[in-house]
This record gives sequence, structure tokens and C-alpha cells, in this order.
Amino acid sequence: MIKLKVDHIRKTFSRNGEEQIVLEDVSFSVDEGRFVSILGPSGCGKTTLLSILAGFQRATGGSITLGDRKVSGPGPDRGFVFQNYALFPWMTVRENVMFPMKRQRIPKDQRERTFARLIGIAQLEGRENFYPKELSGGMKQRTAFIRALAGQPEILLMDEPMGAVDFQMRQKLQEELESLWLKERITVIMVTHDVDEAVYLSDRVIVLSARRGCIMDDSPIDLPRPRDRDDQHYEGHKARLSAQLRMAFRES
Amino acid sequence: MEKITNQIPKNISISAFLGEKESLRVRLLSQAVSLALFILLWRRMSLYYNNQLLLPTPGSTFTAFIGLFGDPEIWENLLLTLERVLKGFACALLIGAPIGLLMGSSKIAMYMFDPLLGCIRQVPLMAWIPLSIIWFGLGNGPTIFMIALAGIFAVVLNTVAGVRNISPDYYHAARSMGAGTWCIFLRVVLPCALPDILGGARLALGSGWMAVICAEFIATSAGFGFSMVEAQTRMETEKLLALMVLGALVGYTMDKCVCAIGNRLTRWK
Ligand SMILES: Nc1ncnc2c1ncn2[C@@H]1O[C@H](COP(=O)(O)OP(=O)(O)OP(=O)(O)O)[C@@H](O)[C@H]1O
Ligand SMILES: [Mg+2]
Repeated sequence: MIKLKVDHIRKTFSRNGEEQIVLEDVSFSVDEGRFVSILGPSGCGKTTLLSILAGFQRATGGSITLGDRKVSGPGPDRGFVFQNYALFPWMTVRENVMFPMKRQRIPKDQRERTFARLIGIAQLEGRENFYPKELSGGMKQRTAFIRALAGQPEILLMDEPMGAVDFQMRQKLQEELESLWLKERITVIMVTHDVDEAVYLSDRVIVLSARRGCIMDDSPIDLPRPRDRDDQHYEGHKARLSAQLRMAFRES
Repeated sequence: MEKITNQIPKNISISAFLGEKESLRVRLLSQAVSLALFILLWRRMSLYYNNQLLLPTPGSTFTAFIGLFGDPEIWENLLLTLERVLKGFACALLIGAPIGLLMGSSKIAMYMFDPLLGCIRQVPLMAWIPLSIIWFGLGNGPTIFMIALAGIFAVVLNTVAGVRNISPDYYHAARSMGAGTWCIFLRVVLPCALPDILGGARLALGSGWMAVICAEFIATSAGFGFSMVEAQTRMETEKLLALMVLGALVGYTMDKCVCAIGNRLTRWK
């Protein structure tokens, strides 16, 4: 079943009267419960595309349909995980995660139950009353993830959710993220420029080209989970996508 | 609009490049040494000029200072002045912070208030005293007005800077979690700008404390500033100096109190 339909999205910025095309014509659709990555070189318009999906920016043309509604502006049906997490530093972990549930007037007892469950899957027990500055990078990332889940969105949008951590931490977080996702099975669109991350996590990878952002490649990753990074097929997918990314980069 | 900061920012490790160690002993010792040097210099100079009317010695100033504690009139005047400062400060905060929040949040409010405030701010504070006497007569009225006026711009400008520095990501995050405009104001804008509002409040209290003494020189016949004028006309210079020392200590204590309250309120920082 199709969850999200992206239809001929076009985005231009005008600078000094000159029109700069960032996204030329982007169309794809995502099935319910899938983990889709958008891969592309820096500056190709990944963040722009994702924030149009979130409703933070308006597209110049085209339309987005979530379920059976047209998207126009931000809403709690789409959870967002920011590149820098954007946790509210003046709120504790608990207050951050409760925030979306309170906004949606979820009854208190149900709120408490959801909170306990989410804290459990993010392994943040005992950290409920910590402020974000008292958390490690990984804990922040997990808090941002469960905060986005707490509002029970229909789809989760993530902008390089592991961009701010180092390589070893990144692999560990990817594994954690996968196991969190396997428990929740929500539709996810993740932006990344890391090929390994895309192959490890996704059911499908969309590659954007650098110049005139349009889709260069759109292919499934049909490997069993959890994935073995040393597997031959895994390496194959990585090599293929890396080659594509190099090509995407050369175009610019 | 730039934010006013004429204070050494806290949380900055001054000793970073000299590699000095931070410890209570070093701190107390340095403070004691600087105080001792200051008093020694003062003493040398007063002995050199040898004129109690021009520059009393630290010793006679200290005696006068102790004498202040036995003088109920001084305490009445000090309490009166403190009351004025707190009232004026409250006015500056309660008027300044909402204006700043409005200007930081809305472009229209910014266009409306910015030139106006920018001009009024340029009028020297002391130039307001004659008008404030015409408006409010003598006594509490003009002094409270002067205190509020002295502090309000710091509150407004710091609040504006605080609101404008809020990352758009926080707004986006709040919206995508279902928050409305009013909720974003209460749960995002206000707490996020609070440290800057408190910074403005600290400056406002400081300038209020300075303004009140000046205002009391002229616009009233009671209060701490008036006590000073009295000491001067009676040619009791050592009492005048003792009052200045007391004024400095009271101001310092108030500043530390505001800092402490601010730190309590922004423990998440
Ligand atoms: N507000 C804006 N005004 C003008 N140009 C913009 C604006 N936002 C983005 N752009 C341009 O759009 C292009 C894509 O930016 P975007 O942030 O989407 O890239 P990205 O793919 O997310 O890159 P990265 O991987 O480095 O985060 C860039 O060339 C950028 O200059
Ligand atoms: Mg980006």
C-alpha cells in the first residue's frame, strides 16, 4: 500500500533575480512500513527535499500526498529527526518526549504508558530527568528518535540522523536504530550521504544527482536483516551505490 | 539591534592561555592581595595630601563606616532607596520584556518600535530629570521613573537578541509535533529567550542602582543619594566615602542575587 506519494516536486530559489534550480523534477512513492534512504552528494538538495516533505518549506511546484491527504505545512502526522537533534535544551528527556503527546491531548495514563515503553526501547531508563546537555551524543540521538515517535506519526523523516557522531558510534547507532525500527515498523525516509549507512538500514535507496537535483537511481536492497557488513552482496550494493554517487558528483 | 554586554561573561575560562590552576585558595588570596594593594595606595595618597576634607584615610573612612551602622536615618534612607530601585526595576522588566518579546517575534512590531526606541535611547539619562520632576513632582515619582528608564533599554535589546537567536529548527520541531502559535510562544520562545532576558535584567538593576543615586541628588529630599549630598554639604568627607563604600557593597550584593536567581532559573544551560 502506498503511504507517501511525491509528485513532480520542483524547488527553485531566486538569488539576485537569478533563478537557481535545486530540485528539478522529483517523483517517487513509498510503501507503508518501508525504510527508504535518499542518498546524494553534499548540496544536491536532500535537506531541501526532506523539509518540503515535512512542510517546513513550500515546493515551487508539484504535490505531496500522505495517505489520502495533500501535505501543506508541518503537522504531527510526520515526525522529524533533525541533523542536530533540535532537542529542547530547557526541557528534560521526559519533558521533550512528552511534548508531542501533550500537544495531541493524549490522556495522561496513556501518555505515561507510551513514555515508559519508548524510554525502554531507547534504553534511557534512569535518564528521564536529565537535560540534553547531560546526555552523550548517542543518547541525544535516541531521545530525538523516540520524541519523534511519541507523537505517533504516520511517517518518520530523518535528516542525517547520525551526522554528528564519529565512525564507531555511527555503526553502533545504526544497529540501534535498526532494532528500534524493527520494533515500530513505521515508514521512514532518511537522508544521508553515507553509502554504508544507506545499505545497512534501507529497504530501498534513492540517489539524487548533484546538478539539477533529480533522481538518478532508485533500487531495492533485498538483504535479510540484521545485515552483515562483510557479506559479499552487502559489499556489492555498496560498490554499486558508491560508483553511482561518484557519477552523481562528477555531474556537478 | 545589538545586545548590550558590558560585563565579563561568565563560564569563560580566563586562565586558558596562561594555564593557571583554579582553586579556592588562589582565588581568596588574589582577592585579598588586590584589596590590600588598593587600600595601601589609598592610604599613601591620603597621607601625601594630608587633608581629611579632600581625601580621608582608609582608617577614618572605616570608622565612619562603622558609625553608619549606629545611624537609623541612614538605614531608613537606604531602605527607601532600595524600595525605589526594586519598583523601578520591576517596571523596566515588566514593560521591557514584553516589548522585547514582541519586537523579536514580529517584524511589524520591530519596524514600529525600533526607530522610536533607538532615538529615545540617545537622550542622555540626566536630561530626563527636569521633565520627570515636572511630571511627577519631587520624591518617589521621578526617582522610580529614572530607574525604570535607565534599565528598560537593556531589557528590551537583550530580549530582542534572545528571541532572534532562537534556531528555526526549534520552531519547526515544535510545529511538527503539533504545537500552535501560542504554545510555541510559551514553551519555546519564552524559555529559550530567558537567559538573555535575565542578562538584560542584570544590566537594568545595575544601571537602576546608579541612576537612583543621581536622581536622589536632585529630585528628592530623602534616600541614600540624599544622605550623600548631606554628608557633602556638612563637609563630612569620610562619611561620604563610607556611604560610597556601602553603596558599592549593596549594589554588588544585588547583582550577585540576580545572578543566583538567574542560574536557578536556567539550570538547563
Ligand atoms: N534558503 C535558501 N536560499 C537559497 N538557496 C538555498 C536555500 N536553501 C538551500 N539552498 C541551496 O539549495 C542547494 C541544496 O541545499 P541542501 O541543504 O538541500 O543540500 P543537502 O543535499 O542537504 O546538502 P548537505 O549534504 O551538505 O546537507 C544548495 O545549493 C543551497 O545553496
Ligand atoms: Mg543537508
